[in-house]
Amino acid sequence: MTFDEVQIGTAIGPEHIFVSKDQTRKYARACGLDAPRFTDDEGAKKEGLPGMILPGNMSLGLLSKVVTDWIAGSSARLTRLSTTYRVPVQPDHTLTIQGFVTHSYPETRQCEIDVWIENEEAERLVTGTATVEFSK
Amino acid sequence: MVEFDPALIGRVFEITEPVSVTREMIAKFCEALGETNPLYTDDEGAKKGPHGELVAPPSFAITFRNGRHFFQNIPRFGRGGMDAGKDVEFVAPLRPGDSVTLNSSVKEIYEKTGRTGTMVFVVIRSTLKNQRGEVVAHIDHRFMNRN
Repeated sequence: MTFDEVQIGTAIGPEHIFVSKDQTRKYARACGLDAPRFTDDEGAKKEGLPGMILPGNMSLGLLSKVVTDWIAGSSARLTRLSTTYRVPVQPDHTLTIQGFVTHSYPETRQCEIDVWIENEEAERLVTGTATVEFSK
Repeated sequence: MVEFDPALIGRVFEITEPVSVTREMIAKFCEALGETNPLYTDDEGAKKGPHGELVAPPSFAITFRNGRHFFQNIPRFGRGGMDAGKDVEFVAPLRPGDSVTLNSSVKEIYEKTGRTGTMVFVVIRSTLKNQRGEVVAHIDHRFMNRN
């Protein structure tokens, strides 16, 4: 894929990812996040949550992964990612992660992309904007 | 509007010792995220990539914090202190063997009123540098409090 092949509206994903509780705990441990809401249901309930949730960083990581999967093999690199955590993301669900190109800047060879994570009910849990830059 | 001590803006967090990035840390991070891209998981595959060697996935940069008490040092208003989102600028990749230092400070405090009421946002700006003093990433952590 080259910069010239990318057009406004070009789709990224969708990727369907089942995130288990074990994977969530593994991520939390790998990143030194030991809050109970990321590791066990009971601890999360004591914090007023319905059960365990994914760390926000993990959601950002999944969005980042879908963008870097999309540009794999090209000269582009991910230069920016902004995220908004709208609704807590719960494990043991299949998440759909996708996006599309919203802007293209030929002078800087950059593209802006809207990306988001949604649940099985198509509710947008996490939204974001990514920028990728193709080398000249 | 939210009232706060103006001296909070720019307050620098605890300065911590450099953290070494190991191959094992990157491998664990990739495994936890389900990452299989050879640029981040396979030395041979990474050699053919743009960096010529294995690097960490971009989002690895957001796992660094200033010490164990990072979260306790964030100014709070009312209830909560929920992670509301991040703005990350990825400047350069992190590699095994790099040594990361972090500088974090309070960047901004502002109020917003939405459908669910008034919220106070605290933005913490962290800048990561490698052992050569080169900026690796700027991370704006946005924390939300409810009045």
